[in-house]
Amino acid sequence: MIFQTPIMALLLVSGLAGLVALWSAWFGLRVLRRWNLADGSREQLEMERQTHLISTLFGFVMLAEALALLLFVYNADRMANLFVGAMCAVGTLNVNEYGFPALYLKVATFFAAAVWLIVDRADRAGRDYPLTRVKYAGIILLAPLILAGGAVELTYFAGLETDVITSCCSKLFTPANEGLSSEVTGLPPALALWLLGGSGLAVALSGAASLWWGRGQMLFAVSGVVLFFVALAAIISIISLYVYDHPNHHCPFCLLQPEHGYYGYVLYLPLFFGTALALGAGVLQVFVGRPSLRDILPARIRKLIGLSMVAFGLFGLATIWAIVSSQLIVFG
Amino acid sequence: MTPARRPTTPVFAALGLLVAGLGLAAIHVAVRAPGERARLAESTRLVKVLGLTDLALFTEARYTRHPSMADLHTAFQDNPMSFEHFPSGLFIAPPAHLPGGQIGQSEKDFPQ
Amino acid sequence: MTPWLRRQRALADYTLSALGRRKGKNISLVVIYALIVFLVASIMMFSSGMRREADLVLSEAPELIVQQLTLGRHELIAGGEVEKLAAIRGVTAAKGRLWGYYYDRLNGANYTVMVPDDPTIKLEQGQAILGEAIPRSRGLSWEGAPLFLSRFEGDLVKFDVVDTLSHDSALVSADLMLITEQDFRDFFGLAPDVYTDISVSIRNEREIATIIAKAEKVMPKARFVTRADISRTYQKLFDWREGLLVTLAIAAILAFGIFAAEKASGLSAEETREIGILKAIGWDTGDVIAMKLWEGALVSVGAFLTGAVAAYVHVFLGGAGLFAPVLKGWSVLYPDFALTPQIDVLQLTTLFLVTVLPYVAATLVPIWRVATGDPDQVMR
Repeated sequence: MIFQTPIMALLLVSGLAGLVALWSAWFGLRVLRRWNLADGSREQLEMERQTHLISTLFGFVMLAEALALLLFVYNADRMANLFVGAMCAVGTLNVNEYGFPALYLKVATFFAAAVWLIVDRADRAGRDYPLTRVKYAGIILLAPLILAGGAVELTYFAGLETDVITSCCSKLFTPANEGLSSEVTGLPPALALWLLGGSGLAVALSGAASLWWGRGQMLFAVSGVVLFFVALAAIISIISLYVYDHPNHHCPFCLLQPEHGYYGYVLYLPLFFGTALALGAGVLQVFVGRPSLRDILPARIRKLIGLSMVAFGLFGLATIWAIVSSQLIVFG
Repeated sequence: MTPARRPTTPVFAALGLLVAGLGLAAIHVAVRAPGERARLAESTRLVKVLGLTDLALFTEARYTRHPSMADLHTAFQDNPMSFEHFPSGLFIAPPAHLPGGQIGQSEKDFPQ
Repeated sequence: MTPWLRRQRALADYTLSALGRRKGKNISLVVIYALIVFLVASIMMFSSGMRREADLVLSEAPELIVQQLTLGRHELIAGGEVEKLAAIRGVTAAKGRLWGYYYDRLNGANYTVMVPDDPTIKLEQGQAILGEAIPRSRGLSWEGAPLFLSRFEGDLVKFDVVDTLSHDSALVSADLMLITEQDFRDFFGLAPDVYTDISVSIRNEREIATIIAKAEKVMPKARFVTRADISRTYQKLFDWREGLLVTLAIAAILAFGIFAAEKASGLSAEETREIGILKAIGWDTGDVIAMKLWEGALVSVGAFLTGAVAAYVHVFLGGAGLFAPVLKGWSVLYPDFALTPQIDVLQLTTLFLVTVLPYVAATLVPIWRVATGDPDQVMR
């Protein structure tokens, strides 16, 4: 099954990302041991030059990874008709045990990479590259994630067999089964909406506080992450029902299909971007005390938080629109 | 420097035109859709009425005309080790439901 | 304009005038690049067009086809089996199908001869309905021209052509010849109670597996081909060939990548001097990298867009002229049809990743090497 163009594109991205990650991590080890800006030696100069390359390379690779995440999901959806029993991406991902881990690793890579890029930009804004060590420690942590993601993805695609009978989303996302997905599906709709509203409010309040009074940034980041998980749960538990106009169809992947107007992308894109920006703001907040960043960082964090709130706002609007425009009546 | 002299102006305009070309293609897709739907509906109707199973793309041999109905030896039907000799073999893979065969099987591959 | 945008615009301006100074070389680079994108994009658009066509058209194929196998080959099936299959619970109807091939020695073509089993198709003895390609290839240009077929030396059978299947359905019917059951049995010398295979209609598609399990007990030697099998055969067929062709194209992409890397690293003396001067007048490494990235972006976006648009025109407006010979293969009859135009985001993203990413990967390291050199070292 590797002979499919989208799969080859995905593997190409993973392969390049893996190479870059390995090489950058190797370089990162050197930076952690030897980095010393005060030193004027040849080696230090070389390292300073290489940091430019790593930043550019990593930036490109992470952009490609973000595209690849989209492509991965879209492709899983499209391939569903190749497998017996599959109706949407869930079936394709369930063909072997590596499908969902590959997706989770890709999502994790996306967030980690977004945070890394935000830190990288901040670091390059400071005249003495104050976050270099942090950045390269980050790369050393990121590299195994990227490599594992690539390896799991390769295993997944290599093991795709069309004659395997896979399971459909209606079997996975039903309250009757055991497991996390069913637990979430069984979440009472009213509770899910309350939780979503609550965490949305927390995000709005902490965001407003950090924009107006310059405090509460950490709280914003934490509530952004909480909102992310609550939103995913709410999509499975109730929002999907509104989009499908169906009282029992809970699948978070069918949302991505053309039949439902690609509504999933309208929901997920702002949610993911908002969360990534919130995470980045939270991480930057840790370094706000560094002398050379004291003047630059607060403005940057404000901007990130502002953008993040816009993205979350779009997600909120998409949710409300799904509920308002639906024919389905759950409460009442 | 006058704006007209800037080399980006014509180049960005050309890129813009190309993007517009993609947009035009999308419009072309939308405009052609009803006619194409009618054409496909006609084919689909015939498939249903006659119970057809395959596309009439490659008519030179029976395993290229009806790949989904092909014999179990297809596409190496003349001899298990013979290579494909029709150019359309370039487009036809062995049917999906056939067990994947192996070249050079030895006796130990078969359980006694 | 924000300062950031103004800076980017100025960088792009600078890059373009620098590119303009070596017009011939850079234009040839973009043209080769665009050609590669065009090739890959044409392959992808063509195969996905075919895939979609097959998927839609064959969605109405019979739910289940039962074939008799003898010596590992498709064999005629006895009429008695039809009732056995019809008796299985969940089966709406089972019908014996009669179809076969006829090799026409006059034009060297294979026809698919078939007996229609539908009240809407009215045929009488001695009459035939032909697919669009048969009259074309036999030169039966005037209305009502009869079709003479010869099975062996000295034999001649006449069919009155009462109708031609519409051009719209050419993809499935180009080589079809529909005749009555009596004519079919006479023409091929077939015994009265045998069929080519049996098509089974099933009320609920979820029951197909159970029905096959039951039918296998009744007809242990038979082979069962479901509608999903048919659809998957075609999906895989085009996927597989697309992948194969794209893999071949990747060799071209690789070669191009090496070419681009070579071009980016083996700078001419003039270019090296240029970068040396830029650094001497105060550009820092970041500026030079940004300028070079602009160069890469302009080249690859230009080539990508040109290639993609040209491929669309080629496949959907020009009838995929480059692939037509491959499709026609050695067959005398081939359907004359245009693919349904479509554009899809997945495809464009894949195309972008497959073509632009290797270029970026190939040029980044050389760009960095050039950008970080010391001005005096570069100038020397």
